[in-house]
Amino acid sequence: MKKILTILLILMMVTSVVFAQGRQETSKTATENYSFGGSSTVAPIANSAIPAFEVKNPNVKVSYETLGSSTGISQLLEGTLSLAGSSRVLKDSEVKDGCVTTTIALDGITVGVNETVSIANLSMQQLKGIFTGEITNWNEVGGLDQKIEVILRDEASGTRASFEEIVHNKIAPKQNAIVAHENGDVASKIAATPGSIGYIGMAFGSIITEAGGSLLTIDNVKANVENVLNNTYPISRALYVVTIGQPKEGTTEKAFIDFLLSEEGQEIVAENQFIRLN
Amino acid sequence: MATLRKNNLRKATESGSRAILLLSAMISIIAVFLIIVFILGQALPTLKQVSLKEFFFSTTWYPTQDPPHYGVASFIIASFEVTLIALILAIPVSLSATIYLSQFAKNKLAQILRTSIELLAGIPSIIYGLFGLSAIVPFVRNIFGGNGMSLLSAGIILAIMILPTIINLSEVALSNVSQDLINSSIAMGATKWQTISRIIIPAAMSGIVSSIVLGLGRAIGETTAVLLVGGNAPVFAKRPIDMGRTLTMNIITDMAYATDTHRSALFMTGALLLLVILILNLCVVQISKRKRLEK
Repeated sequence: MKKILTILLILMMVTSVVFAQGRQETSKTATENYSFGGSSTVAPIANSAIPAFEVKNPNVKVSYETLGSSTGISQLLEGTLSLAGSSRVLKDSEVKDGCVTTTIALDGITVGVNETVSIANLSMQQLKGIFTGEITNWNEVGGLDQKIEVILRDEASGTRASFEEIVHNKIAPKQNAIVAHENGDVASKIAATPGSIGYIGMAFGSIITEAGGSLLTIDNVKANVENVLNNTYPISRALYVVTIGQPKEGTTEKAFIDFLLSEEGQEIVAENQFIRLN
Repeated sequence: MATLRKNNLRKATESGSRAILLLSAMISIIAVFLIIVFILGQALPTLKQVSLKEFFFSTTWYPTQDPPHYGVASFIIASFEVTLIALILAIPVSLSATIYLSQFAKNKLAQILRTSIELLAGIPSIIYGLFGLSAIVPFVRNIFGGNGMSLLSAGIILAIMILPTIINLSEVALSNVSQDLINSSIAMGATKWQTISRIIIPAAMSGIVSSIVLGLGRAIGETTAVLLVGGNAPVFAKRPIDMGRTLTMNIITDMAYATDTHRSALFMTGALLLLVILILNLCVVQISKRKRLEK
């Protein structure tokens, strides 16, 4: 008897869960769904902005898929996404197809070295030589006689893509280099490897110094918010959202862009350690 | 009437619990099957872009370059190289430790040793990795040169990690050798050492070999620890002190944001790893089968 009771009880619990689910679904009928996606660098901004945006627009449901800038833009053109995040400028072909960018934030890339490296500054030309493998010893750039150990990010990293584009345009980086798979990994490998050099999103520069490495000036300019804003720090980039044609008034896409550019949106940008536009 | 009902109920419970047990047993089989199906399902689209020959025999891994290259040959070799280094270092140590534990260690000392070996087995691999980064990498750098991040460092870390696997399993094999056999050997006038080397070890051989194969499986599948100390450069390592990337490191490095062919190529790498592990496990099954036949 007891057993039958238990089974009945379990059945009741299961069915109540099922029915409760059903009710929940019916109460949410009038929502509109929007798929945004693209750059992994933009993802933290989008993912913190979306909940706040949905609170303001209760009938709108937005998702941001982390696909990488290029995949995001190609899916935007195919119509799978209605808005794409990008951490790189558009290619000519994408502009021709009607893509339009709106800048939502700025970002810089910091270069850090191991404490055994006695250098405080590198020129962009030297940086390019080091990361493409032409310069292999610190004494070629005015340092001690010490082998340079290059630390790269993984192939899928947006920071790596931007660094390659800005610093060693289209030339493949040195293959015999340490590959770190995330920012913390870059910092600990710079700290652990004598003669090493690596790059990291500006927001994360402090974890290199905390781990025992030091940050370089590039062309004698320090990587900080001020120098990115006045355009003197050379390794900087803008983060964009991309739409097909100018975003139209009254659409959710336009509302989302306006939200990102609003005080609250820019506050989210800053909270995620990127540089706000104003 | 009441007894009949009670009987029926008992029968129902019995067959019910049997069904539940069967279902639980089936779940593990189904899990293996589903893993293979889904990994292969995600992996096979690679072949639309990359030929099997390029995938297995090219050493150029450059998934974001134009045109992309997806060759994992150097990762396959690196995987086997770190495992080989780990085995060369771990086998003598673990077998000596096993013999000591099962034949010589007295109660209290044996207890302490067993506890610390269990502790070694319980340490998470990320901790091994951090230890490797702070201790083994500088050690290799100072003794052998290079930057210290190397297949050798990865092999050393793996050797420590597989010690408990080999020791625990081969100790079971050693203690399963029949006491009669040992007693007869001693009765024949053999010394303790002769008994160990000529009787106990040969009798426990298949158990020892399967413990080594299981250790090998653990070494080849380890990811986190080797990622921290191996350097992760996608190049062919000419010497053990050069940086390299194993199959597991390749999967974890790019997985987060990889798309399309790049993503499926990572699944293909996973399928390859799965295949290697399955083959290893089949070897263990074969060895233990032979053991049963001998008995």
